[in-house]
Amino acid sequence: MNLLIAILLLPCLGFALCFTVGKALGHRVGWAAVATTAAGLVLVSLAAATHQPVDTFSTTWLRIGSTPFSFSLYYDNAALLMLVLVHFIAVLIQLFSIDYLKPQSDHRRYFGFIQLFILAMLAIILAGNLFQLYFFWELVGLCSYLLIGFWYQKPRAVWAAKKAFLINRIGDAGLLLGIFCVYQQFQTTDFSSFANQDQLTTAGGLLLFCGCVGKSAQWPLSSWLPDAMEGPTPASALIHAATMVAAGIFLLFRIYPLLSPDALVVVAVVGVFTALWASYSAVYQTDIKKTLAYSTVSQLGLMVLAVGVGAPQAAMFHLCTHAFFKAGLFLGAGSIISSTRSQDTTQMGGLASKLPVTFVCYVLCAGALAGLPLLSGFLSKDSILVAAISWANGYQRWWAYTIPALALASVGLTAFYVTKQVKMIFFGIARNQPPTLPIVESGWFIKLPLVLLAMLSVGFWFSPNPLQSESNWVVPFLGNNTVGLPMHWVGWVSVITTSVGILSAWRVDYRRFTLAKKSYLDILFDHFLPKYVGFFARFFNQIDVKIIDRAVDYVGISSVILAHIIAWFDRHVVDGLARLSAWAAGFGGNVARSFQNGRIQSYFVVSLMGLVLIIILFLL
Amino acid sequence: MNLLSLLIFLPLFGAALVLFLPASQTKYFKWITLGFCAVELLAAAVVYHYFDLSNPSFQFVEQTDWITLSLGSLGAVSIDYLLGIDGISLPLVLLTGVVMLVGAVSSWQITSRQRAYFSLYLLLTASIMGCFLALDFFLFFLFFEFMLLPMYFLIGLWGGPRREYAAIKFFLYTLLGSVLILVVMIALYLSAFDPYSSLNAQTIVHTFDLRYLADGHNYLPNSLLNGLSAHQIMGLDARLFLFLVLFAGFAIKLPVVPFHTWLPDAHVEAPTPVSVVLAGVLLKIGGYGFIRIAYNIFPDAAAEYATLLGILGMVSIVYGGFNALAQSDLKKMIAYSSVSHMGFVLLGVASLTPEGLNGAVYQMVSHGVLSAMLFVVTGVLYDRTQNRQIEAYRGLAKPMPAYTTLTAICFFASLGLPGFSGFVGELFTLMGGFQSEFMPKWIATASTLGIVLAAAYFLWTLQRMFFGPLWTQKGVESLLADLTPREKIMLLPLAALTLVLGLFPHFIFDITSATITEFLKKFSLN
Repeated sequence: MNLLIAILLLPCLGFALCFTVGKALGHRVGWAAVATTAAGLVLVSLAAATHQPVDTFSTTWLRIGSTPFSFSLYYDNAALLMLVLVHFIAVLIQLFSIDYLKPQSDHRRYFGFIQLFILAMLAIILAGNLFQLYFFWELVGLCSYLLIGFWYQKPRAVWAAKKAFLINRIGDAGLLLGIFCVYQQFQTTDFSSFANQDQLTTAGGLLLFCGCVGKSAQWPLSSWLPDAMEGPTPASALIHAATMVAAGIFLLFRIYPLLSPDALVVVAVVGVFTALWASYSAVYQTDIKKTLAYSTVSQLGLMVLAVGVGAPQAAMFHLCTHAFFKAGLFLGAGSIISSTRSQDTTQMGGLASKLPVTFVCYVLCAGALAGLPLLSGFLSKDSILVAAISWANGYQRWWAYTIPALALASVGLTAFYVTKQVKMIFFGIARNQPPTLPIVESGWFIKLPLVLLAMLSVGFWFSPNPLQSESNWVVPFLGNNTVGLPMHWVGWVSVITTSVGILSAWRVDYRRFTLAKKSYLDILFDHFLPKYVGFFARFFNQIDVKIIDRAVDYVGISSVILAHIIAWFDRHVVDGLARLSAWAAGFGGNVARSFQNGRIQSYFVVSLMGLVLIIILFLL
Repeated sequence: MNLLSLLIFLPLFGAALVLFLPASQTKYFKWITLGFCAVELLAAAVVYHYFDLSNPSFQFVEQTDWITLSLGSLGAVSIDYLLGIDGISLPLVLLTGVVMLVGAVSSWQITSRQRAYFSLYLLLTASIMGCFLALDFFLFFLFFEFMLLPMYFLIGLWGGPRREYAAIKFFLYTLLGSVLILVVMIALYLSAFDPYSSLNAQTIVHTFDLRYLADGHNYLPNSLLNGLSAHQIMGLDARLFLFLVLFAGFAIKLPVVPFHTWLPDAHVEAPTPVSVVLAGVLLKIGGYGFIRIAYNIFPDAAAEYATLLGILGMVSIVYGGFNALAQSDLKKMIAYSSVSHMGFVLLGVASLTPEGLNGAVYQMVSHGVLSAMLFVVTGVLYDRTQNRQIEAYRGLAKPMPAYTTLTAICFFASLGLPGFSGFVGELFTLMGGFQSEFMPKWIATASTLGIVLAAAYFLWTLQRMFFGPLWTQKGVESLLADLTPREKIMLLPLAALTLVLGLFPHFIFDITSATITEFLKKFSLN
């Protein structure tokens, strides 16, 4: 049996399992899900271990006229890397969820949706063409809707789920048009053909990019991601680390050969702006998950920037390292939330001694996010910064340097908010209310995934020399790497920026950064857009009711009035004429009859008159 | 008896049976109707089984002289009882089989005047089948008109509080469409002739055979509709003008904005099974009429007006979507979503591309299945509480979990989620519009707004009615029982069907592809 098909069938099986025998399994359904995904991980390792190329797969999905639309699988190193990543993180997150979800009841729905989510993501990774990718791309949107709105009795959760789906739909509409552009220009959307194609028109490239903007939460379609925190925390971890938001970056990686230089500039600008704006927004958040959400948006911005400056491999590298430490951070947050029953960091403090394992893991992952040397985030961020500077060197415009400069600023802000958050959670005095509530660390099923993810946030895994980004193995693994000369000074600059961020965050009073204002984007999407769309909807409805329907009614009424007029005409004029003639005939008859009244004198008079008439006629 | 005639006469026989059985047998009427609809679907499946997918022309053709009139020096007119089926009508015949069966199950709730109801229902089935099978324009028109009668009574007698208004509005609108079609029929009668009979009879034999009408050679020289003669009507070329008249006739049925306002009223007042049939099948006759009649007879005009028709399709999509968003009555919301989704059919047909036309036929089938499901879903709630206002409910998921699951599946399928049929129809009609050489790209681009709007109104409804804590406006929580077996029998097969069609769309495309490839050869850029 084809290995890749088997990898795709496993989560199908898991999904089916959850919804068929899930009821009988009860809480053990989580174990079935973990086992399914773990089996998938074994299959992926088998694929990785075979040195000959893995069998791909292709079949015709449908045929229109003579044009086939195929379902095919495309397997390369990038796909392999993503397969490993998704499986590994999904196993850990499901393991974590088994304990985390215990008080809630509906395990089979939860794990069923997670399996569906994994299926959709794996299918995106293995998709052989853009139509197929779009198919599963939308399915990812569905899964995010189902998981964000998992607690469907919470109005806020359902609202956030709807918002996520709708904003993604906007991006998807653009992606769909972009796919049409690709199809029209090249008559194919197979990824295997992209390397040899000409460039796509800039408009087409930007339309494709819309898909990434929606799914990877880039400005201006970013505001759904912080709201998506209404879902269960492990589901957030999955969305943020390995599945949903990674899909956008993976799409960019796939379509990179088609993008024109102009389109790439837009991509880079959107990316760096998102990175800076989101890291600035993160500074003011006090909700533990919201801070992490904004940080995801900002890190995704860096990845998009990397693609824009011509280093898609660096983007994938950062995607990889980010997946591990962000999953670690979310699971850490989950552990903290389940211990303190609160998400508000202003209510925490001093947890380092009470949750020692979580503390160590969280700090390791946070250090990776901040980009501390020796940790994984440092390496991938450095690759992106180097790529950005090389690009600016090549672009030969002075303003091109603002892009790496802004990226660096976002790195500094990241260090700042991460330190602020760690300080608020783990250090200082305990501010939890009521303070008597015992805070104990959760069981090992919660701690084990955390520890594993923290260990994977260390730089050694990705580069033999964790202080030099150019010695990493991921970028060469994904293809030729011609980023240019190593620039060691970039690493130094980045370390200095990070240190400044950390030190200033450590020194300032966190209370100055607790007032999160509603961002303009939130105002736009939560108030103005619904308001104006609603206005349009009512406006069109008024056209329907007041103009079209009223016109129809008037036509109806006026024809009834016309009918009455005609009826009147009929009754009085046409009928009148008829009655007139009838009356005339009757009158004439009466006159004539009156001659025949039976009196001999009358007959005589009539005869005489007739005789006189005849005589007159003869005489004339 | 030929299979296609069987499809038409079987329900007629059923109607007669219901009419003439004694009143003591009333309890069997619904069983008889159900049985006949089931056999009807089976017969349609048999037609599908023996249908040759690679043959683009008409199959199972059945021709009998029906009316022949000699008009002396004016020639003769011959009207045939002519039936046939090809890749465009077969999917719709199958759809009719499915929807009428679901409608029959849904009709079981009808308790008043059952004899009249079920005989009218079977009569309607026969006339719809006739519309899809007739190849003689006159015969088509006859069935088309005949459909109005049962529909009028079904809405007018078994409908909601404003049923008379809705029934009359429906009747007048559709009658106007019929008159427009009739005008074109008269013009065709004056212009076209049957080449073979004319040769044999040594005189001009006028015909309504659609196969002859489709061929430009069969028009009398210098007649009104001969492509080479320069007759004008109201400043327009006669062919262009009459194409628009014919288009308007079918546009009422589809419906295309601005000819659509009969639809929401008819749906709101119609009983559930009639809504199911109305949205599921009747609207498709409009789309079928475009392809089979208007485009077939006037390919030149269709190409000429592709942009205009594309814009009308786009307007229907967007306008219908916005209107759906503004509704507070669940059934009205779904009615407007029908307007929006049928706009995709028009867009696909107008594009004159293989993707667009195949997609349009597919979209008709898909919408038939989905709208049937949507109206059954609405009916479930209405049967329990007699209230369809969206604001009147919150948190229905708690007392009605199975109902909520099936509604969510149905809503997601309708908003074009991949894996369900709605996605494929929208994908290919939009793609056709985008690739068309006959219309500019901004039309399809603007139409994609429709898929965003569809997500908005369906998810917003889902959020407001089904999720959150349980609450009802009039305290009718106790009435909210979950689905009955009869409701599940209707909803589950439809859900399975939309999933199967969405995952394996080739079932439809294999039927349509050959015919449409042949059909598109008539169109070329001027």
